[in-house]
Amino acid sequence: MKELRETVKSLLTEGKVDLVIGWEKGTMPGASTPVFIDTAEKADSLIFDSTCRNNLSVYFTKDRRELAKDDKKIGVVVKGCDSRSLVLNITEKQIDREKVTIIGVPCNGVLDMKKVTGKVDGKEILEFTDDGERVTVKGREFEQTFPLDEVISDSCVTCVRRDAVEHDLFIGEAREPGSDENAYVEVEEFEKLDSGERWARMEQEYSACIRCYACRNVCPSCYCNVCFVDQNDPQWIGKSPEITDTMIFHIIRNLHVAGRCVECGACERACPMDIKLLLLNRKVAKEVRDRFGSVTGTGLENKPAMADFKEDENQDFIMG
Amino acid sequence: MIRIEKERIDEFIRTLMETRAVYAPALDGKNTMFAPVEDPAGIDHNIFNTDKSPKEIFFPHSEVLFEYEGEEIKKVERDVRPIVVWGLRGCDARSLRLLDKVFGSAWQKPGNDMFEDPYWKEKYDDAIIFGTACNEPRSTCFCNWFGSGPHDDAGMDVKVVDTEEAFILDPVSEKGKKFIGSLKGWAEATKKDLATIKAVREKAEGLMGEAFGMEGIAEKMADLFFKPVWDDIGAKCVNCGACAFICSTCHCFDVQDEGKKGKKGKRIRIWDTCMFPLFTKEASGHNPRDMSKDRLRQRFMHKFSYFISNYDEHLCTGCGRCVSVCPVNLDIRDVVRAVMTSEA
Ligand code: SF4
Ligand code: SF4
Ligand code: SF4
Ligand code: SF4
Ligand code: SF4
Repeated sequence: MKELRETVKSLLTEGKVDLVIGWEKGTMPGASTPVFIDTAEKADSLIFDSTCRNNLSVYFTKDRRELAKDDKKIGVVVKGCDSRSLVLNITEKQIDREKVTIIGVPCNGVLDMKKVTGKVDGKEILEFTDDGERVTVKGREFEQTFPLDEVISDSCVTCVRRDAVEHDLFIGEAREPGSDENAYVEVEEFEKLDSGERWARMEQEYSACIRCYACRNVCPSCYCNVCFVDQNDPQWIGKSPEITDTMIFHIIRNLHVAGRCVECGACERACPMDIKLLLLNRKVAKEVRDRFGSVTGTGLENKPAMADFKEDENQDFIMG
Repeated sequence: MIRIEKERIDEFIRTLMETRAVYAPALDGKNTMFAPVEDPAGIDHNIFNTDKSPKEIFFPHSEVLFEYEGEEIKKVERDVRPIVVWGLRGCDARSLRLLDKVFGSAWQKPGNDMFEDPYWKEKYDDAIIFGTACNEPRSTCFCNWFGSGPHDDAGMDVKVVDTEEAFILDPVSEKGKKFIGSLKGWAEATKKDLATIKAVREKAEGLMGEAFGMEGIAEKMADLFFKPVWDDIGAKCVNCGACAFICSTCHCFDVQDEGKKGKKGKRIRIWDTCMFPLFTKEASGHNPRDMSKDRLRQRFMHKFSYFISNYDEHLCTGCGRCVSVCPVNLDIRDVVRAVMTSEA
């Protein structure tokens, strides 16, 4: 934490950046909140731990896209997955690489708060601490400590690139990526179901959706000027939370981020209804990896799978 | 005040179910919400503030107003039994009363010529609200900022206090008194019950954080409309609809036709929110609230300024749902503090 704050302070005082996007402590135990630091004094509020759940690359997209375009030099603090979003946005020409200073922080996974409250039978947590390996929660008349690994998001359990794949500075020592050979176990389980069972599973999951679009809005890969669900002339999709329309929304969003989703899990963590959104995202990511040999956002030299064409690439999905 | 021993609560709920549609907190999948009761044994009386707010009982996310086929308009059949809500918290009972100012008859101000909404009234007017006092408020609760508190009974017909041994039912409104008066076969609350109620109430009130002074917020917000404080507040908002859809007092809607245009279909009204860009987009393509911060400002202006001008109350009851669900932890209490401490 200290090193992160000092690094940001010197970037600001030396004029290397005008603004740094990071996280500070939030208002609830186990919560952090995004913060925009424009003076060295403010840098003392910066934190990085398992509560830093948001993918801050989202602040270069949508209404904030001017951040990436104007003359300001921006620093951004990133976990492994967040850095992949930046890389994707750079390769898609949404962000100018020269304008951003990427500050990597060592990630051990971020919390899934539902898992944390599950550990204490839903009792209210009033205090939360994280030492990087274990988390301790306290409430009225209880205190419990458990390994961080048991309460991190599903996206972090399977993550093999916990440290920034692209960075200008790194706080500590960046680890090499692991192998993703066995990274899709839950997807493989899902694939074993027949189509009826798969559909039932998805319907069950998505029927709770309230169409708030938090999943879309926190996603750095979802940045169309006007999203298809926000169009009404023509209107592509019904607006009620009825299952058919809800499924259309999710399936289309899924396909729109095919080869562009970095599996950060920000969407899933943002969902107020706790819908497991990553399953379909990761199913598509696995297809992209297996068919095109492409893992999204892992190198500035790689074009996103859907924006690239190689003569010898796998085309059996077209040929039948 | 009547006393219902814990062992007999199912029996009590069953008597309600004889003539009424009863709604109570339930777990549906991973989330808690108010659902029609089929079996009283299935009610979890310990569910605190539900994840989804009870507004949807009276103002469903998607409601069919009528159906049409060619020229013919068909009324939709609905369950006409009067509604009973069991297990509603104080904040939510007050939320319904606020919504009744908008949709129903609770707002009778001289010169008020506002419309009454038949779809709301047909459900809410006959409803009996059993509100459960909160013995253990959470850290996200801030009902006391609005002059309320965990044992407040405003907006309830009958206040229910859980004393561990029994539920004590205290009729509050005329409707509640009439209803409780018509019941037979239940014991009166004892002196001991009253003492327990007093004790749990004091304990609950002691658990609340300090109330923040809200005086003058409406004028203050109006003065700050064009000020940069909104840039600071709005910077991290990702402009989703989570806070509004989960909120017990947000009540904007859109009206749409579903089906074949002009042939056969239904007219529905569906929740909408000022957070969505389409909300204010005009036919010309111009959007007066084009940027995310304009939309965020609207949500808070409505809650703490416009609603006060129109209905003399804040459009927030401090239930804390938005605090828990906001994906970037933009805490409404911080918004209020930021507004109240900034210079106009
Ligand atoms: S779809 Fe979800 S997991 Fe994929 S990049 Fe977007 S927020 Fe991350
Ligand atoms: S965040 Fe969850 S509830 Fe909201 S639209 Fe996405 S899946 Fe649905
Ligand atoms: S805000 Fe007040 S009334 Fe609502 S649940 Fe919390 S303590 Fe109870
Ligand atoms: S604004 Fe937040 S705290 Fe207020 S009523 Fe709505 S959800 Fe509850
Ligand atoms: S305040 Fe939070 S929940 Fe509400 S729109 Fe902004 S990001 Fe979404």
